[in-house]
Amino acid sequence: MERGYRIRSKPLYDPLIWKEHATDHVVIAHAEGGVGVLKLFQMMTPKQPIKVLFADDARAQRSYRDIISKLVDEGLQILDDKEGVLSAVSATLDDCVMGTQFYIAGNEDFIWAASQILKSAGVDDKNVMKEQCGSLARPVYCVHCKTIDPEVHHNVYTCPGCGRHLFVRDHFSRRLGAYMGLMVDAEEPGNIPEVEEMYP
Amino acid sequence: MSVLNVTVEKVEQITDVVKQFTFVQDNGEALPKFSGGSHVVVSMDINGRTHRNPYSLMSSPANTDSYQIAVRRQDKSRGGSVFMHDQVKPGTKLTITYPVNLFAINRLGKKHILVAGGIGITPFMSQIADLNRLGADYELHYAYRSSEHAAFREQLEELCGDRVHFYVEGDGTRIDFGDLLGQQPLGTHAYVCGPEPMVKMMLLTAKYLGWPSNHVHSEQFLAPPVGDEFTVVLNQSAKEIVVPGDMSMLEAMEEAGVDAPFLCRGGACGRCELDVLETDGALLHHDHYLSDAEKAAGNKIMPCVSRAKCTRLVVNL
Repeated sequence: MERGYRIRSKPLYDPLIWKEHATDHVVIAHAEGGVGVLKLFQMMTPKQPIKVLFADDARAQRSYRDIISKLVDEGLQILDDKEGVLSAVSATLDDCVMGTQFYIAGNEDFIWAASQILKSAGVDDKNVMKEQCGSLARPVYCVHCKTIDPEVHHNVYTCPGCGRHLFVRDHFSRRLGAYMGLMVDAEEPGNIPEVEEMYP
Repeated sequence: MSVLNVTVEKVEQITDVVKQFTFVQDNGEALPKFSGGSHVVVSMDINGRTHRNPYSLMSSPANTDSYQIAVRRQDKSRGGSVFMHDQVKPGTKLTITYPVNLFAINRLGKKHILVAGGIGITPFMSQIADLNRLGADYELHYAYRSSEHAAFREQLEELCGDRVHFYVEGDGTRIDFGDLLGQQPLGTHAYVCGPEPMVKMMLLTAKYLGWPSNHVHSEQFLAPPVGDEFTVVLNQSAKEIVVPGDMSMLEAMEEAGVDAPFLCRGGACGRCELDVLETDGALLHHDHYLSDAEKAAGNKIMPCVSRAKCTRLVVNL
């Protein structure tokens, strides 16, 4: 690791904290993002109306819906899966006004899928609180064939679109909601560095 | 800094206290293109002293054969607006800077709320031309003191149709910022230009309603306030310059032949920022650029509008 150097586009995330000034609050979470929601509800809850949109990950062992249902008494919508949460976000946006605060918790793929829906409604991701929860798996797009793999765990992976071996970079596209993946053996075909799990 | 040499083509009395000036370029060419919300800095030679005041361009950006500005007469100020009103006639030659935009429309906005108070209407005149051209969703809320002060009302009715709303202080109609900002759709941007209490009221209301700060825009050009005389010492050139009470630090440096950087001359843009190395008194910050923390730290100053209450101020220039 080179010290004192960073890729500016690499997103940084913070724990969710209620914003003081608001007309209302919308919390959007998936899977391990449930922990982010639980932490939020351990703080003093704001006076303005709150909406929580949450779905467990059916593949995961851990479920948070029951605990969240106990803690959140109003405005809770439990959905079946990630897609369910995202379409609930779209449906909610029509009723939102300037002053609505948005909070997203989940893995990076989910955070940016939700951010893109907010962006299409004119909400800048700078103004959205985002907490990365659970897996560090990265959404990565292949710069050669444009296929996005939503959950990449290794430094080098095989593109599901074109089969190239791609190296995962820190460069991140907010428009695509994914990191950049570049062919790793373009210079010397077959010369692939050791594959290591970097994003467990 | 490169300047444009212009001639005053037309002077129109808009209200008792507002005059509109039309400039054309001396060389007969079209003026540089600009975007809605831009301003120019007009240089005036008043009794051998150069005054430079920023004014918003209010003509349509689609027409660069001429520029138009409007000037409100301020009798209790340092004389720039009085000079424009009393001395500048058709045929007068002036120099202006290239247009600079510190108050642009956010093109990604879904809707735009424009709020003007009095002469603060001017930057919106060119912005509206842009918004109409883009087919953008907008509302203009224009407040003025009384019907005699309703500068450009007819022109605005023509430009904006039912998008414009008028508020007349004399009739007791006022903008309720809570109502105005409380129910706007996501993606709305708000813009305000007018007297300081109005600007502050809108910024505060937006903040308490939870509007993100990058959706709220304001422009206020300040005139440099009058103060006490002090001496500014330029560290790099070892020059000592006396700043008279009725001159800004920037003006005094320019009079002394120093080529100091500047852009807006109204405490808004931050271009003229100087590092303060030493002072035996207190800095009097008047700008809108430095944060409160930076002002308190006391190691930066905007010489276009800010000054010091001291005998000696050393800056890194």
